[in-house]
Amino acid sequence: MSFLTPLFLAGLAAIAVPVIIHLIQKERKQVVAFPSLMFLRKIPYQSVQRRRIRNWPLLLLRLAALALIVLAFARPFLRRESLAAAAAGGAREVVILLDRSYSLGYGDRWERAIAAAKDAVNGLGPVDRASVVLFDTGAEVALRSTGDKARLTAVLEAAAPGAAATRYGPALKLAGSLLAESGLPNRDVLLVSDFQRLGWQGGDGVRLPEGVVVTPVAVGDAEVVNASVMPVVLHRTAFSGQERVAVTAGALNHAARPARVTLTLEVDGRTIENRPLTLEPRTAGTVSFTPFTPASAFTRGTVRLSEDLLARDNAFHFVVSPRERLKVLIVERPGGSRAASLYLAQALALSETPPFEVVRKTMDTVAPGEIDAAAVIVLNDVPVSQAAAERLGAFVRQGGGLFVAFGERGAWPAAVGDVMPVTAGATADRTRGSAGRLGALEYAHPVFEGFRAPRSGDFSAARFYNYRAVTVAPDAQILARYDDGAPALVERRVGQGRVMAWTSTLDVAWNDLALKPVFLPFIHRVATTLAAYTQQPASVKVGDVLPVPSGSFVVTPSGERLAQVDTGALELREQGFYEIRAGGGAGEVRTVASNVDLAESDLTAMEPGDVAAGATGRAGGATAAGPAAVLTDAERERTQRVWWYLLFAGLVLLAVEPVAANAVRTRYV
Amino acid sequence: MISAATIPGARFVDPKVLARIGNLELVCRSVVDGFINGLHRTNVFGASVDFAEHRGYVPGDDIRRVDWRLFARTDRFYIKEYEADSNANFSVLLDVSTSMGFGSAGVTKLEYAKLLAGCLTYLVHRQRDRVGLVAFADDIVEHVPPSAKHMETVLHVLDRLRPSTQGGLRAPLQKVAEHFGRRGMLVLISDFYEEPDAIMEAVGPLRFRGHDLVLFHLLDPAELEFPYDDASAFEDLESGEQIPIVPQALRDEYRRMIRAHVDALAQRCTASRIDYTLLDTSKPLDHALFSYLSVRERLMKVR
Repeated sequence: MSFLTPLFLAGLAAIAVPVIIHLIQKERKQVVAFPSLMFLRKIPYQSVQRRRIRNWPLLLLRLAALALIVLAFARPFLRRESLAAAAAGGAREVVILLDRSYSLGYGDRWERAIAAAKDAVNGLGPVDRASVVLFDTGAEVALRSTGDKARLTAVLEAAAPGAAATRYGPALKLAGSLLAESGLPNRDVLLVSDFQRLGWQGGDGVRLPEGVVVTPVAVGDAEVVNASVMPVVLHRTAFSGQERVAVTAGALNHAARPARVTLTLEVDGRTIENRPLTLEPRTAGTVSFTPFTPASAFTRGTVRLSEDLLARDNAFHFVVSPRERLKVLIVERPGGSRAASLYLAQALALSETPPFEVVRKTMDTVAPGEIDAAAVIVLNDVPVSQAAAERLGAFVRQGGGLFVAFGERGAWPAAVGDVMPVTAGATADRTRGSAGRLGALEYAHPVFEGFRAPRSGDFSAARFYNYRAVTVAPDAQILARYDDGAPALVERRVGQGRVMAWTSTLDVAWNDLALKPVFLPFIHRVATTLAAYTQQPASVKVGDVLPVPSGSFVVTPSGERLAQVDTGALELREQGFYEIRAGGGAGEVRTVASNVDLAESDLTAMEPGDVAAGATGRAGGATAAGPAAVLTDAERERTQRVWWYLLFAGLVLLAVEPVAANAVRTRYV
Repeated sequence: MISAATIPGARFVDPKVLARIGNLELVCRSVVDGFINGLHRTNVFGASVDFAEHRGYVPGDDIRRVDWRLFARTDRFYIKEYEADSNANFSVLLDVSTSMGFGSAGVTKLEYAKLLAGCLTYLVHRQRDRVGLVAFADDIVEHVPPSAKHMETVLHVLDRLRPSTQGGLRAPLQKVAEHFGRRGMLVLISDFYEEPDAIMEAVGPLRFRGHDLVLFHLLDPAELEFPYDDASAFEDLESGEQIPIVPQALRDEYRRMIRAHVDALAQRCTASRIDYTLLDTSKPLDHALFSYLSVRERLMKVR
């Protein structure tokens, strides 16, 4: 006979308590105040000492009750039965879940993890089968249910820690589906991990099939020394006509002792600057590097931290490009007032992300090259000839953006009607009575999306005294209407570009929108939408999915060439710089910086049993049993049933105790 | 004992309720009002200033009491009758020893005794007698000499009284006997935790000096019934002495002894022409007063 929880036997010391109480308690401490003991003093009484001696049977009863309950909690079980049960146990289906998140690269964790997995493989019986699942944020079946130990070992040896973070949920779900397919009577999950706290979000909706035993194998370290680099902040400044980028980087010390580290800024592979930094325990520090000028588009930058036991989180990559100016060509009426485009030009000049380069021309002075060079062309209340309209139509089809403001003189030739979203008609006069207001806006459209939230801009404050009544093309979308339902802003997609028609002026002649706070962001939104401008992030995380043009060539950080990404999406699996060549390698080259999830660098471990208990839904989901002792739940229960009888006997004695105590007291009185 | 059901119009108030009323005079008035009979009969007739009524002259009446003004108006002889008035001394001797601080029924014996003393004082004061108070434990603690003006003082002193020290009857009562020269009525309220002979010896000097002596023996229901169950250490409130007691074993013996004590006291008091009344502090105070007064009135007719 042995005990499952022998520590509970320490509770046997509790049987000393009644003995001590019997020894030291000479009489009840309860004192009753009584006016006079004149009469009571005359009556003889039994001494307490004599009573104490006669209570020995009661004391023994109490001691026996306590001892039985303590023994029950110690969970005795019979080894003989367990061996017999193991022999009759039957085949096992084992799923080895091997954590390959980058935190396993700390010290010798990976080697220990592989060794533990191999032990499990070696412990498989002749009829047992095993699967190997490698997991980080996602899970992948490396080898599906086999009894071939050589193949299992080979798969384990071929595995390596990746660059992603830990998530137990997907791995346990995959293990559950693998075990559900199995027809073997015993089903086990061996979870080999460093059990980082952030990988377990309290269940994650995982529930393994009934009867599955999860055995956690923790390969973490009691004390970890690790510092990680933090995401950089880029600050752009203009200096002597050039744009400079200041990098502010930080480091986080996860250890319980101070650390002295060096942060290094590398640009395009060359070391620019080293900065030492002293970090207090569990704190972060930042340094600012001297600003540099990005020489070309997609300049690669890296902030490195001095080496420690976990290498992955010591580098942060980013991509920085010189800020691109979007060219906006404003076409004005010859001989018209310069004030007509004053508000528009000023609004565009104030933008920083992205900056706009504004050129103002009349229609007859615009060179063909200028049209092609522009990102957006604004026709500010000008009549357009058919030749010009056709040229502009071609510009839009190639991806350009055209914004047409119809004032008093604005006109578009009907012959080129497949470009303009509206056909302008008579002028509506709202100078008498109440002025027109913008009524309905299409907040789902990128132009107005930023104004969707409450108190994010009030378009209804602007008054419109005149506007052109228009006929909307069937394939055009009305983005804004006046309060009488007439269209104010209409968009039409033509080829790869867009055309927007504004049915009033862009100055203060027909409306006062230019004087309202919403004018500036409205014009910025219109220009960036028409130019199809998107801001490139400085870096993305491993595990993110990037949209890439179909048929692109991708070169991974490890140098592998992924030809023809057909899905239109690329999942980032490595840390470093991805090179994406659109159009089969001949097109534009784009560089994306990919970084590890820095949350993973916090190596704080959780209780391994919590994952097992969460996945199985019972506290006993995690057992310390090795691969040799495998019993079904019913067999386990049978071998340990003794505790139940002990507890029952102890409780019966406890129930008898008050009766016996009362009987004894009455007798001695 | 006369029960509430046999006394028409009587309304008895729970001592716990009375103890909660702060104003002792109010309590006394509410308890005493409605009692028709006084504690004693006056021994002086007609020496009063309070006019009561006229009645027709009959031969033999003192002609000095004829109302001559009324004779002038009506041409008939009328005699002026006055309220009878007395000026007897009345003092309450109140035991304030520590044992009187005991109470198991929500009100302590001392609180009950204070209410009783207050009610008696009020009742007597209504008859225009002089009222006084002596509070004692092993010595005299408070002393208010009897006076017709001392009603408020007595009530005030009563209100202030707290259980003080270990008790004893002999020494304080000896002093009281020496002090009260003029005959009067003395009401002794105590729990009488002494041997009956010792008690009679202590009250003897008072009786010998011609005082009309009334003993109220106050006992808590716990002292009478001894309702304790758990074996405990019982502590004497006065001496602090502790004795381990198993109440179940002693209860019957105790009850027998306290009953014998009460009987012995009653017997010796009757022999010495002293009024003795046992009061249970769980019983309504006016009920106790009423029953005592009824018995006393009946006895006085006999005497």
